[in-house]
Amino acid sequence: MKYFVSKRLGAIALALTFLVSSLTGCGSKNSASDSVEVTNNTVYRTVDEIKESGTINIGVFSDKSPFGYVDENGEYQGYDVYFGNRIGEDLGVEINYVSTEAANRIEYLQTGKVDIILANFTVTEERAQEVDFALPYMNVALGVVSHDDAVITSLDEIGDKDEVIVISGTTAETYLEKNYPDIKLQKYDAYAEAKTAFENRNGVAWANDNTEVIAFAIENPGYEVGIPSLGSADTIAPAVTKGNESLLNWLNDEIKALGEEKFFHADYETTLLDTYGADYEDTLVVEGGAITGK
Amino acid sequence: MPNLGIDVLFKGKNFLRLLSGLWVAIRISLISVVISIALGLVMGMLMTSRNKILKAVFRIYLEIVRIMPQMVLLFIVYFGTTRVFGWDVSAEHSAIIVFSFWGVAEMGDLVRGALISIPKIQYESAQALGMTGLEIYLYVILPQTIRRLVPLSINLITRMIKTTSLVMMIGIVEVLKVAQQIIEANRRTSPNAAFGVFAVVFLLYFLICWPISRLSGYLEKRWL
Amino acid sequence: MDWEVIVSYLPRYKDALLLTLKIGWQGILLAFMIGVLCAVVMHLKIPVLRCITGFYIELFRNTPLLVQLFFLYFALPKIGVRISAQVCGSLGLGLLGGAYMAETFRSGLENIAPIQSESAMSLGMNRVQTFRYVILPQAVSSSVPGLLANVIFLLKETSVFSTISLMDLMFTAKDFIGMYAKTIECLILLVIFYLIMLLPVSVAGSFVERRLRHAEFGD
Repeated sequence: MKYFVSKRLGAIALALTFLVSSLTGCGSKNSASDSVEVTNNTVYRTVDEIKESGTINIGVFSDKSPFGYVDENGEYQGYDVYFGNRIGEDLGVEINYVSTEAANRIEYLQTGKVDIILANFTVTEERAQEVDFALPYMNVALGVVSHDDAVITSLDEIGDKDEVIVISGTTAETYLEKNYPDIKLQKYDAYAEAKTAFENRNGVAWANDNTEVIAFAIENPGYEVGIPSLGSADTIAPAVTKGNESLLNWLNDEIKALGEEKFFHADYETTLLDTYGADYEDTLVVEGGAITGK
Repeated sequence: MPNLGIDVLFKGKNFLRLLSGLWVAIRISLISVVISIALGLVMGMLMTSRNKILKAVFRIYLEIVRIMPQMVLLFIVYFGTTRVFGWDVSAEHSAIIVFSFWGVAEMGDLVRGALISIPKIQYESAQALGMTGLEIYLYVILPQTIRRLVPLSINLITRMIKTTSLVMMIGIVEVLKVAQQIIEANRRTSPNAAFGVFAVVFLLYFLICWPISRLSGYLEKRWL
Repeated sequence: MDWEVIVSYLPRYKDALLLTLKIGWQGILLAFMIGVLCAVVMHLKIPVLRCITGFYIELFRNTPLLVQLFFLYFALPKIGVRISAQVCGSLGLGLLGGAYMAETFRSGLENIAPIQSESAMSLGMNRVQTFRYVILPQAVSSSVPGLLANVIFLLKETSVFSTISLMDLMFTAKDFIGMYAKTIECLILLVIFYLIMLLPVSVAGSFVERRLRHAEFGD
């Protein structure tokens, strides 16, 4: 166990150069393959390949009720999952649901670890540079929920010492970082962690998709959504790995076709009605990929 | 007495799910330990070599294992390799790779220590008895080395089981992730479930690791 | 490799390093104190306290830090005990480390042959003098390598702080990956910053080990 310091220092220096050079070497290789599309060595799978393998991997949340969660029997449930089940059925393949965190979603697609992300993924410009979005199936904006004895109705009310809870890798995080850099954020990886921390009053408010915070305030007594709509009106859509035209086109056709049978209204009525009631049905649901109203 | 949410564990298959999450953790550790022992034995023998280049490589390897948090290695293997080499390594395989990478280093170092500590006279006596090099390793050195290694590898198992709590971060649904899912699915009916469920998870880890580490301590006292 | 990105991320990584070090050292200091206290209790075999200490050591040595932190941070508030994330981090690390430190100190104390204190007594030293001039120096010298190994172990364990919203190195890397998907750059920075933090400790470890061995042999 005893080595002379000089020897170890030498080894360490070697280790460092080795590590850094190998990593940078690999890094530049990577950026090269980014610019030149390699056709025979893609990370994604086409529709035919998926059908052939008999299984599709879909990334969903496992702790974001009522959109994607796991019930007491270990089955995935929720608005996103309802759609996922239909995709599997129409492709005629088994579905393997992969539990993702918000911050990992792009990563999962870019590394081909899932074929589709259906984890309540808001379409943004930054993300569209990294992945390909299909047609939308839900409307969304940001919202802020707070405890009902200290409701926050405007972001200006947030004091210097107050912290706002966000989930790492969500649009709420990016929006607040960009537009309100002075607000202190308290970031969590998982929905379950963020909600528990919010219940425990570790932050004065929780900023997230408004669908999510509204659902939270309805389901749990003692909370109020002081800011129901913040930022721009966005949509939620399935995402596939950049360049996966085959699956993207299939999804777009699927969403258009499902519009004719009012599939997403049925989805809402099965999975979200208990939470939101009928009032939100037309504001939330996007049918056939066409954003209507307003 | 407020409702501390232990009851949610008895809904549906919840408790069974928690246990199967624990099994995922134990399975990953067991597979990694088996790989670590097998490769560690080879590694340890190689480490006694006097080859300078080989020595330098092993030093670097040991130093990386010593310094890098397992979580960083998990991220590098799980996300980094796909980015750089285009390999698609599943989350569980990534975990096994990282744990074995760590285990082989520890085992190798232990084997090396054990080999060095065997007095030279034993080699000489065995040679005097007319044994060949391989026979000396198989019948004289290895049995003694393994005896020393058993308690230490059992100890490694507990440390690996504890470290499996990190694999949640790369999407493996193990006991802690199941706990979060249970808390989430029952937030409305039992808002205090976080207490009961996390307390039970705490206890489960203890109930698994404690007997194993006691066993390792007992063997260490008897055999070393 | 996008150098511009790396440069723009640097300040955040630096902040994260400082936070990691701050919480890390607070935790290690706490661990050190808990460790000494427990080792003394175990060594002097104080009746009831000894059982409690033994239970504490076994409990914290046999559970993962992540689970301990989840319990402290997410579960305790449900029964009315609220602790801030930073305090949770230091406390969790201190409790975990304390259990490991206690074992290290204890084996340091036990390593000293009884004949040494007997000889010291026969030279006319009293119990305090024996402890101060004979037992302690040797116990410290034989446990320092173990302690430094514990320090490295504990600093590595800080990587789980990210789960309770502390913006440590791991968190910063994950956060940037999630927001901007520059995976390679983020991971390289992560590796480099951990090296910056832990290499000095690792080097110091082998240095001190060598120095102490000198002292031991009275060279």
